[in-house]
Amino acid sequence: MNRAVAAPSASEGPLAGLSRFFRSDGFARLASYLFLLVLWQLVAVYEDRFPGPAEVFGFLLIEVTGGSHGGVVRGQFLEPFAATLPRFALGVAISMALGVVTGVVIGGSKLAEALLKDTLLVLVALPAIIWAFLTQMWLGLGDDAVVITTFLSAFPFVAVNVIQGIQAIPRDLRRMSGTYHVPLYRRLRHLQIPAVTGYLFAGFRFAVIIGWNAVLLGEWFSASDGVGWRSRYWYDANRYKGFVGWVILFIAFIVLLDRLVLVRLQRRAFRWRDAQLSATERQAEEIEVGITGA
Amino acid sequence: MATLQVEHLNKTFPAIERRSKSTTAIDDLSFEIGGHVFVSVVGPSGCGKSTLLNIVSGIEEPSSGKVRVSEGEREARLGYVFQEPRLLPWRTVMQNMLYVIEGGTDDPGERATTYLRMVGLQDAGDQFPSQLSGGMQQRVGIARAFSVEPDLLLMDEPFSHLDAITARGLREQLQEIWAQTKKTVLFVTHDILEAVQLSDRILMLAPGGRLYADVPIDLPRPRRASDTEVAMAQAELLRRFETMQEETDAARAADVSS
Repeated sequence: MNRAVAAPSASEGPLAGLSRFFRSDGFARLASYLFLLVLWQLVAVYEDRFPGPAEVFGFLLIEVTGGSHGGVVRGQFLEPFAATLPRFALGVAISMALGVVTGVVIGGSKLAEALLKDTLLVLVALPAIIWAFLTQMWLGLGDDAVVITTFLSAFPFVAVNVIQGIQAIPRDLRRMSGTYHVPLYRRLRHLQIPAVTGYLFAGFRFAVIIGWNAVLLGEWFSASDGVGWRSRYWYDANRYKGFVGWVILFIAFIVLLDRLVLVRLQRRAFRWRDAQLSATERQAEEIEVGITGA
Repeated sequence: MATLQVEHLNKTFPAIERRSKSTTAIDDLSFEIGGHVFVSVVGPSGCGKSTLLNIVSGIEEPSSGKVRVSEGEREARLGYVFQEPRLLPWRTVMQNMLYVIEGGTDDPGERATTYLRMVGLQDAGDQFPSQLSGGMQQRVGIARAFSVEPDLLLMDEPFSHLDAITARGLREQLQEIWAQTKKTVLFVTHDILEAVQLSDRILMLAPGGRLYADVPIDLPRPRRASDTEVAMAQAELLRRFETMQEETDAARAADVSS
């Protein structure tokens, strides 16, 4: 089996390398981006009011470098992010804290579940825009409305995931801990928290993604700076390339955050589950080295 | 040395539905074990073997009667080997051992290593359970049970989920560890050969959780499953189980006809 893998490397020409590149995952991903770019260009050609890629990236270049958009308007890039990120972080942090507490209470008590679970499901179903409107009506313009919109949108997802995690702690392991009279602190640290980690992590990822959507909606209606405000600024000015440009920045931020931070954290948290896989992989590598070495 | 006293123990499970009858798992069971002794509880499935262990370990409450595990003045410590390994999958072997070892222990790491060495897994401390075979996981479960230095060790069909060859190796290993550590063991199984090979005494349970016979097994140790004496004792015990089955069937037939 490994011989088949090792054999072509001996007689590999430039053509073989090229054909392997076209079949790789990296190429597939690249091709999908290229396809989207072409599609975007086509839409822009047939729909005048929709700005094409060249126009939008030209705009973004000015915005990022702080150049002039004509008149007194100058490009802004770091300022909106600097205004948004603290609101986003605070909103997500509050959702996590209250989501975990709510989840533990509902997950641990039948009565609390009967009282609160349906309310929670209603909250899950409510779109962020409802909170953006309501908080603006209640609190007016300012940071509070934005942070609370973020928190109210993201928090139910954290709570629902934590409830599932708590209810999924294996009964066998709970009984084992009981027969050995394991102290509560150890049970919390080595049984309950690790059992919930996967669910908590899923909840965190939801909170980040939903929270990011919500913070921008909140800023659209209630802020005078930030990424959401900047999108609205260009929208109100009828500059669609500006609006589309900020939508791209908005998507790019969440994709990068997910790939660079969340996925890595997840891999770390699930080391125990991947250990099996890496053991077999190590073995396969050893066999391969043995064959090529011989 | 620990003493386990079971006096007139009864356990009935209430009817699940309104029209069904309640079931008796254990019926007026009394016995006493103490000292460095290996006692097996053998019987057909549904005779209350696991329920007995659950009551002794305190997971379940008896319906009536008494169970006392004593070790001088203090409360006795229990070790428990389950049918499945029941290890924390997200913790390494060493962390799994430390999870159960008492807080006041001088050097818990040293203690854990000692018992891992007894089952031949002293080098597996850093591995996760998923990296070990089923037999190795069960050996960790056994090392864990011994590592709390229990006064009474409960074992619930610990080899029933393993293949025959692995199970056989583990039975011999268990005999050695038991001889070294001098623990009181209550071992539940439905495998008569296993019971004969390991035990000093066998408690035969009849369906309905009644004690049918208390059979001493007085054979030299270490014993192997292939020893002639073991095979003969097994055949003898099997005959008694057949008789027990016939009596039970006859009683049941009489019950139906009356």
